[in-house]
Amino acid sequence: MLERTLTGLRNGLELRGAAAGYGSRLVFEGLDLAIASGRVTALCGPNGCGKSTMLRAMRAMLPLSAGAALVDDGSVDALPVRERARRIAMLSQNPSAPDEMTVEDLVRLGRYAHRKRFAPAGPGDRQAADAAMAAAGVDDIAARPIGSLSGGQLQRAWIAMVIAQAAPVILLDEPTNHLDIAHALETLDLVARLCHREARTVAVVLHDLNLAARHADDIVFLRQGRIVAQGPVAQTFTRDVISSVFGIECRVLSDEETGRPFCIPVRATGHG
Amino acid sequence: MSAIMQGAADRSAMPRHASAPMLGLVAAVLLAAMLAGLSMGSSPMPLERLLPALIGQGSATDMLILWTLRAPRVLLAGVAGASLGLAGLVLQRATRNALAAPSVLGVTDGAALGAVAFLFLFTDPANMLTVSIYWQPVATALGAAFFAMLVALLAGRGNVGPVSLILYGFALGALARAGVTLFIVAGPVYRASQAAIWLAGSVHEARWSDVAATGLVLSICLPAVVLMARRMDQLLLDDNSAMATGVAVRRSQFMLMGLSVVLTAGAVSFVGAIGFVGLVAPHAARLLLGLRALPLIAGSAMLGALAVIAADIVVRYGFAPLEVPTGAATALLGAPYFLFILFRARQNHA
Repeated sequence: MLERTLTGLRNGLELRGAAAGYGSRLVFEGLDLAIASGRVTALCGPNGCGKSTMLRAMRAMLPLSAGAALVDDGSVDALPVRERARRIAMLSQNPSAPDEMTVEDLVRLGRYAHRKRFAPAGPGDRQAADAAMAAAGVDDIAARPIGSLSGGQLQRAWIAMVIAQAAPVILLDEPTNHLDIAHALETLDLVARLCHREARTVAVVLHDLNLAARHADDIVFLRQGRIVAQGPVAQTFTRDVISSVFGIECRVLSDEETGRPFCIPVRATGHG
Repeated sequence: MSAIMQGAADRSAMPRHASAPMLGLVAAVLLAAMLAGLSMGSSPMPLERLLPALIGQGSATDMLILWTLRAPRVLLAGVAGASLGLAGLVLQRATRNALAAPSVLGVTDGAALGAVAFLFLFTDPANMLTVSIYWQPVATALGAAFFAMLVALLAGRGNVGPVSLILYGFALGALARAGVTLFIVAGPVYRASQAAIWLAGSVHEARWSDVAATGLVLSICLPAVVLMARRMDQLLLDDNSAMATGVAVRRSQFMLMGLSVVLTAGAVSFVGAIGFVGLVAPHAARLLLGLRALPLIAGSAMLGALAVIAADIVVRYGFAPLEVPTGAATALLGAPYFLFILFRARQNHA
């Protein structure tokens, strides 16, 4: 019973007693991580803390050497590949597709798991792709080849593909990488809006602490494959937690306008 | 005009079936090449004699020349070319590498090695085969599969860049060609006369049974490739993204590799190691037709057929009375094209 309250509603995501890594090196073990449904959860921590590996493990893209990845309290691994894609969408770091592919064609690839195996794309697929492009603000560049897009446009095109997949759970691995601050804000605003308006569950790996504090509902702070703190931003985004996770001295202040905390790093304390 | 209006205009200007007229054009050129292949030769047959002969109403001589010599030759070139073109397309999607092709990755030469090894092992001192000739395509397929597996194993180790994969393929191809040469030199003398076939590929000894066998392999593989079309589209994405959209990436790649091997073996068993068709045909098809797999399947097959038929016309006409292997002409055309693709790929990555 206690475990169920961790994820609460439908479409929660969880790693339970999980261990995974590359080759013989485990990135984490004995990990219990819950992503609450209907909320934006940011995963934060220094390089190599296992954020991306955890995300991949939750999507069952990486075999677990112990424990389980659960969606809706059912094993992710046990789902057929297409069903898995209908339940959980994921945008990895540095996704790639041929330069000459148009935005529209890229977004339509997100519909793969919904299409009947050998039938052509139906009106539902077209609508979903069009709606996703509108939501991500790429409908006006639908016919452009992705090789001609700016970094921000390209990232929004990929996010449109993920939206078109219409999965209740969305995992994003550093979606603001390579984006300037305006596009980063725009992208995360889009993600948070989508999550709250359509009650989707979002887990997002973020490098930038202040972006996480501003856009996420919950934050999970990680260090060396372990959870240091997890919960609502107001409770977890504290000086002590950030200091110990990143090995820095810092100040945490509150933005009067949004009520969100933000962090000003002061100096590295060396144990990071 | 607002950006949104402009976008809408762009989309209506580019209908989803833009590939149909281009495919029609390619089909027309292919048909013309087939007719040219049928009419040209040591005794040219103009159209007014060719057409009656085609429908069974020509003179006895024309009928003989057409139906026993030229038709099987042109059809074998077409079917083998289509198989190689498809094999290349499928391999390019499986490896996500525009430079990949059966001949570039050593699969074609591996197939030839399988064929030559079979002839060497199962020929008795009286130059008779000790087992049925029908096993030869199986041996060819085994050779192709073995070399495809070697490349896959090498490429599967860590992150192999596109150019490294090609280098592995070239090295393995050289190895297979050396093997072919050894078996020919060590084998019965009369087999050596066929060396050209296994080293470079040729359609000049075409028989109807060859056409039927190659055609059978193609007609089995083509529907399978069509059924894989949507997965081939998804495989344009990187591994992680393709997986996230719901594709069993490794399994799909394995199936595509398998199809490529069977298609290559089906062609090489009967025409030998004709190179570069599997590279040039899908690449040219992509330039003409775009990225979608379904039109590309039709386009790669037709352009592959066109390439070998045209190459055969070139060697028949350009070098007569010498019997230059068809593969020499495809290589003459294909190798510079390969360099061109390589050059462009390097520029794009710079």
